[in-house]
Amino acid sequence: MRKRYNVFAAFIISCMSFITANAQTVTISGTVTNNTSKEIVPAVSVVVKGTSKGTYTNSNGEFTLKVNKLPVVLTFSSIGFDSQDITVSDASKSIEVDIKVNNALGQEVVIAATRAPSKILESPITIERITNADIKNSPASNYYEILGNVKGVDLTTSSLTFKTVSTRGFNGSGNLRFNQIVDGMDNQAPGLNFSVGSVIGLTELDVESMELLPGASSALYGPGGMNGTLIINSKNPFKFQGFSFLAKTGIMHTDQKYRNASPYYNWSARLAKAIGNKFAFKLNMELVKANDLLAADDRNFARTGTTGKIVPGSRTSDPNYNGVNIYGDETSADIRAVLSGIAAQAPFLAPFIATLSANPINVSRTGYKEIDIVDPETLNYKIAGALHYKLTSKIEAIFSGYWGTGKSVYTGSDRYALKGLKMGQYKLELNHPNWFLRGYTTQENAGETYNSTVATQLFNEAWKPSPGSTGWFAQYGQAYLSSKLAGAIDIDAHNQARAIADIGRPVPGSQQFKTIFNDVISKPIPKGGKFIDQTDLYNYEGQYNLSHITGSFADVLVGANYKKYVLNSRGTLFADSAGTIGISEFGAYVQVSKGFAQNKIKLSVSGRYDKNENFSGKFTPRATMVINVAKNNNLRFSYQTAYRFPSTQNQWINLAVGGGTRLIGGLPTFRDFYKFNTNPVYSLESVIGGSPKTPTFSEFKPESVKSYEAGYKGLIANGKLLIDLYGYLGNYTDFISSMVLLQANSGNPADLADPSKRTAYSVSVNAPQKVKTSGYGLGIDYRFYKKFSFTSNFSSDILGDLPVGFVSYFNTPKYRFNIGLSNNGFGKDQAFGFNIAYKWQDKFFYQGTFITGNIEAVQTVDAQISYKIPLSKSQLRIGANNLLNQYYRNAAGNPSIGGLYYVSYGYNIF
Amino acid sequence: MFQINKNLKLLPAIFLFLVSFFMFTSCNKEFDKAGGEITFPPNGTTPTLATLLDASDMTILKAAVTKAGLLPSLSNTSLRFTLFAPNDAAMTSSGISLAVINALSVSTVTSLMQYHVVPQVVSTASIPTTFPNLQYPTLLNPAPALSALLRLTTFPSRRANGIWVNNIPITVPDIQAVNGVMHKVALVVSPPSRYVYDRINTDADLSIFKAAIIRADEGLAPTSPTSIIGVMNNIGANLTVYAPSNQAFKNLISALTMGMIPTNAPDATYISFLASNNVTTQTVRGIVVYHITLSRAFTNNIPITALSIPTFLNLGIPSHPGITIASTFTGPSVSAATVKGVANATASNIAINPTPDPAGTSDQHFLNGVIHKIDQVLLPQ
Repeated sequence: MRKRYNVFAAFIISCMSFITANAQTVTISGTVTNNTSKEIVPAVSVVVKGTSKGTYTNSNGEFTLKVNKLPVVLTFSSIGFDSQDITVSDASKSIEVDIKVNNALGQEVVIAATRAPSKILESPITIERITNADIKNSPASNYYEILGNVKGVDLTTSSLTFKTVSTRGFNGSGNLRFNQIVDGMDNQAPGLNFSVGSVIGLTELDVESMELLPGASSALYGPGGMNGTLIINSKNPFKFQGFSFLAKTGIMHTDQKYRNASPYYNWSARLAKAIGNKFAFKLNMELVKANDLLAADDRNFARTGTTGKIVPGSRTSDPNYNGVNIYGDETSADIRAVLSGIAAQAPFLAPFIATLSANPINVSRTGYKEIDIVDPETLNYKIAGALHYKLTSKIEAIFSGYWGTGKSVYTGSDRYALKGLKMGQYKLELNHPNWFLRGYTTQENAGETYNSTVATQLFNEAWKPSPGSTGWFAQYGQAYLSSKLAGAIDIDAHNQARAIADIGRPVPGSQQFKTIFNDVISKPIPKGGKFIDQTDLYNYEGQYNLSHITGSFADVLVGANYKKYVLNSRGTLFADSAGTIGISEFGAYVQVSKGFAQNKIKLSVSGRYDKNENFSGKFTPRATMVINVAKNNNLRFSYQTAYRFPSTQNQWINLAVGGGTRLIGGLPTFRDFYKFNTNPVYSLESVIGGSPKTPTFSEFKPESVKSYEAGYKGLIANGKLLIDLYGYLGNYTDFISSMVLLQANSGNPADLADPSKRTAYSVSVNAPQKVKTSGYGLGIDYRFYKKFSFTSNFSSDILGDLPVGFVSYFNTPKYRFNIGLSNNGFGKDQAFGFNIAYKWQDKFFYQGTFITGNIEAVQTVDAQISYKIPLSKSQLRIGANNLLNQYYRNAAGNPSIGGLYYVSYGYNIF
Repeated sequence: MFQINKNLKLLPAIFLFLVSFFMFTSCNKEFDKAGGEITFPPNGTTPTLATLLDASDMTILKAAVTKAGLLPSLSNTSLRFTLFAPNDAAMTSSGISLAVINALSVSTVTSLMQYHVVPQVVSTASIPTTFPNLQYPTLLNPAPALSALLRLTTFPSRRANGIWVNNIPITVPDIQAVNGVMHKVALVVSPPSRYVYDRINTDADLSIFKAAIIRADEGLAPTSPTSIIGVMNNIGANLTVYAPSNQAFKNLISALTMGMIPTNAPDATYISFLASNNVTTQTVRGIVVYHITLSRAFTNNIPITALSIPTFLNLGIPSHPGITIASTFTGPSVSAATVKGVANATASNIAINPTPDPAGTSDQHFLNGVIHKIDQVLLPQ
């Protein structure tokens, strides 16, 4: 690491030698105010017209700028205001500038769509933009949730602080088909394979904008963005200066359905300052503390490998009950083994036992609820800072660090209690209007994270071992028989047997419980439930926009990146017990854009090539066209391809999970290690079907998607109504899926039917089937009166026909609908604001490696009312998420989400 | 003010908008249905096995069951039992009156009644018709201190001629109750209290057979699980012993010695002979084990058509043809039964006299087996 930083340092120094000293002689200063409310306006860009020389107003609306000579024309611009030119010929007195509020729609500039600035109305692909102003006026308690009201977006909530954004299907806590890029850095935890944005990302006060690209986007953003890319940019300290503070205090679990009512705290602070025109820094902190949402689905789940279904039955009606969010009851055995042992010892009972033993008597151990084994407190602490230095007026060097630690819960193949998860991202970047160079590393540390299922199973074993002549199952079997011999009907005999085998079972919260549990979670897998994961990622990339050279012909953009993963789990997650595993990837892209017919038609073609050391190279082309049919009315068409390399887990995982299944990577080396060649494996389906078949393994390949999309975005009704419409078709090949394989421990295929004599593997493979998706969406934004805004959108994502039994994990409602009404300034001094948002989504079937089941339709109302305290730069807000406290879930096995009510005080929020 | 007034005009619209939200917002449903639970009939549903005992011909049994403390169990609709029920006439035939019940100790009545109750539903349709029979544990644990799972078993059987529990005919089968089934029986089904060896050890007419067993066990401790005495004293064993009377042995030994030992010498003569070097331990053991089968067959279980069945000898010589058994019925009762060894010229007869142990000679029931006396020694070769 140190060595790498040295390289960057040397690079910066070499750049600094370019700096030329300009004689700057005249200092202009002034203040910018809002022409209607007369409030000061911070973060207004003040630029000498026709140059890159400029500054921003500070938190008091003031600016100072040195220029060579007078007179000079200054351009004042800011989002939400009309751009205004002022000629300054006298610098002796302060300039007062009133800038005019502009509520016109569709004027925002986006970068994500083409990696170069363009007006959102002219974007060649579907793009959604959320700005700091939207965040400021949103009812959401967390800025990630705002995305949930955007068309075509689904949120998967695994925990209060763990929300995962998905577009165009395949929702999940860890969505591997959706990229999250924060300040240019991939936000995915390199080992755990989930995006940690809502746990360890930007603090709310530091978010300048979020740009969401639904649909395939790896042509520009690299592997992973098959279904979408979310780009979050932080506030530049040159532009957004001063001290800001936001304190939200709320209450959750008000009806005490799952937990006692408990407070919610979310405090964040930001300090940014420019020192002169060359140096600026910022510092951010955020603390979230609350009692987490609780996953408390106690329905019965019949599991086979990594799939299964919800079945009738409870702990008292099904001896082999396996509650969805009950842990430890995954350990199951057929007590006929115990009974036949008794029959051998006591032949006079043998015929009686034979009458009981016609069918398997599967019994599961008694589990514990999530509330018993996962600390309710979710704690999330983020700290980030950045140093910015302008090497020249055009080249800005940035060194930034983002670090966070959190306690949260993640749903993967099991529920993982993230405890002391730490992730740091450190970046060095050089920015120029035409190019950038960037190097960053992601340092992950799973901390004390444990697998709830495995930890609780081992807890049960630590208290009373399952096997053996005095083990839990032996005690159960004897007690069961004893009850049967007293005439008990079956279920009573089972419940009496359980009561006897469970005598002395540790009571949750007792000292005995804590002692055993803490011991189990302090030991790494496989002896305990703990993960050791310190996987790191190193990424280097650069981009050059050649348009200033090639502009006469076409705009040309080129870029490249190199990525290295270092897997380090000491055998607890990956097959890396012998040492860390490195994975290298590189990629390069080029984009050529050209306008035709007075720029009424813009064509853009791009291509990207990537190579991962474990897979063959992949070329992904993209072509887009924008047709300007009338002023502010554009049609867009795109053909995009995208793909993803199998994730680090798809490649190298080696993990025994709750259902008695071992997850293994798809690389061929695993098949040798587990001796598939000498002791063949058979597909689960074929074993269930009665004629075991060995699968053939084909080359493990990256998954790819071809996506066709058309859309329209336009302003009508005198610019008061913005309409955005899209439709797409997606076609996935080499879909990365998993296959459950069974291997007889003895090598004799006759043993495959007996779960105790076989090993189950869930191995990552490419499905031979093609998966097709399609969808459409319509959104409107209507500024119908003054600052009142009515928004509504409707979207649909549809999975094409699939062969019976194929598990696609599409996990997406077919329809969803949002409406909202807001106003960010009304009443006296425009001091009041409000926002109310309603969301409905259809019911859908959720398939997960943890749980598969129905998700019911969801309706939620979020609302907030705010009041700006005049002349104090302060804002008070009262808000509610899920105002009506109607519990809902958005993924199987995940917690029930109830209402969160909060008041907040914000100082200097911009 | 102007602005506020203008905004006020919008309030109804906003209000309507908000109302429409709440109309949309019916309850979210978190989970779909998990399915039904199992339901049981409530206690008190009639008839239960207990209410069946309210019949006028069940007064003695009801008194006995009550004294044994079994009535609450027989009323409990979440328990399942089979009750073998001797009515008042059957009780009287067995010598049990209300006065007897009152006079007996609680533990004796409890044992007697527990032996009439099987903790599962055994309707006659589920009783096998093939030789010999199945055993069903009753509620009676003869030695709880030894093991909580110990149970004395009964042996229901069904043939063309009738249905029995042990050798007691079932007179009215399959009377249904919500918590089980009741079968009326012709007599009290007495629980055994002694081991097979206890009878052999004390029956004067089996003293030579006993001597043969002792010779067969030569070199083995009586407590050894492989000794015949050990097996005959093992609660876990399940035997039928065709026990040759002393006269049967006298006849055999006389024949073997070509009449040098007569057929009417004192018992001690034959006992000495079996202990002497005139015979080998192996020969005696081979003959003794040929009289023992590893299943419990009452005479009513012996088929009418002659049937060859394996004996204890087959554990050592699996291919041995075993013994051949046959019976003759008169009504529901066995009037004659025979058992023949492969080397015997004729079949030996079971001395039919089912009077309970120790008085009888057939269907003598013990904790670990049944004894039938026969009039010839069975010869395996």
